[in-house]
Amino acid sequence: MSGGRDLWSAPLGEVPRDRVKAIWKVLQEVLDPEIPISLPELGLIYDVAYEEGIARIDLTFTATACPCMDFIREDITDRLLSEHWIDRVELIEVWDPPWTSDRITVEGREKLKKMGVSA
Amino acid sequence: MIDALDLSTLSDDQRDALVRLIVTLADSKRLMGIRYSDWTLGAPSIETGVSMASMTQDEWGHARLLYAMLKTLDIDPAPFEYERSGDKFASLSALDREPSDWAAVVALMVLADGALSTMLRSLAQGTLEQARRRVPKMLAEEQYHMSMGSAWYRRLADSGGESRRLLAVATENMLPGLIAWLGVDDAAARSMVAIGVLDSAEDRLALYRDEVREVVALVGWDIDTVLGTSEWDEVRGRAVGRPDEEACERARGDRNRALLVE
Repeated sequence: MSGGRDLWSAPLGEVPRDRVKAIWKVLQEVLDPEIPISLPELGLIYDVAYEEGIARIDLTFTATACPCMDFIREDITDRLLSEHWIDRVELIEVWDPPWTSDRITVEGREKLKKMGVSA
Repeated sequence: MIDALDLSTLSDDQRDALVRLIVTLADSKRLMGIRYSDWTLGAPSIETGVSMASMTQDEWGHARLLYAMLKTLDIDPAPFEYERSGDKFASLSALDREPSDWAAVVALMVLADGALSTMLRSLAQGTLEQARRRVPKMLAEEQYHMSMGSAWYRRLADSGGESRRLLAVATENMLPGLIAWLGVDDAAARSMVAIGVLDSAEDRLALYRDEVREVVALVGWDIDTVLGTSEWDEVRGRAVGRPDEEACERARGDRNRALLVE
């Protein structure tokens, strides 16, 4: 378990109409353990799918031996499973295309800039 | 776009050859990580030591991804990672012994890590879908290893004296095994070329020679005249020999076996 969990909001009260969109929104609350911006902002989430209670997340890591891999997997899983409409989380590790800092979103860059980090 | 290899169509010999290729790369990466890690606290400067730690991390990440590629052949990687005796390790002969000095570490970075990258580059452009998806990230990380290794190689070569002599000795010791490995043209290697998993031995060697020609010339070596060692182990796909036992114990994680978490 890593930091940032105290920033998680309460689970959604009702089943969202667009579940994929809702998953992306929920993932915005899951921070990278080392860089305090969200996993989507860091560009680590490549795809999201939902079918019959199963959330499937394609994610990558900044390095092939990222020491935070287990933290990230655990944080994603725990946050998504707190939603009553998600029964299971499948995490698919992907390396194509390779992550580079170019994948950090504009919003992510702005946040990093405010923290004095150039990306 | 290259058509992806259908693994279900492989003959037993082709399958064995592919396993040999993956394991020799994975074992080499794991051993490379061990050799680098030993110099985290012995490098010439704190900054260089930090780089060694970072490179160690990369090598073990690459090893993890490469061993995991065995799963695509319905092979459990765990026995390969944790249960083999040292005489079954397929890592490069350049990694068999702990580098005796910093010059030998620098030669490892440029020559051995460079040879692994040449083979990986070939694999990434071939028909093995899993490699095409995973290897580019490894190669991106390896760029920094080569940059640092080349800079140090030039520095030691230019400094002359004992530094240059040690670098020349390390280069001489490593190159024949590396040339033999990259230029392997036995039945297993040819089968990988035939199904498009790898480039030809000639192409791999030409790429490698282009990569290191300039730096090895700094210590008096002409890469185009270096011959591969003739003592070849076809089963493991490497020169005859094996890593020292302590390195094998560390690679397998013997001491922490009871704590193994997958």
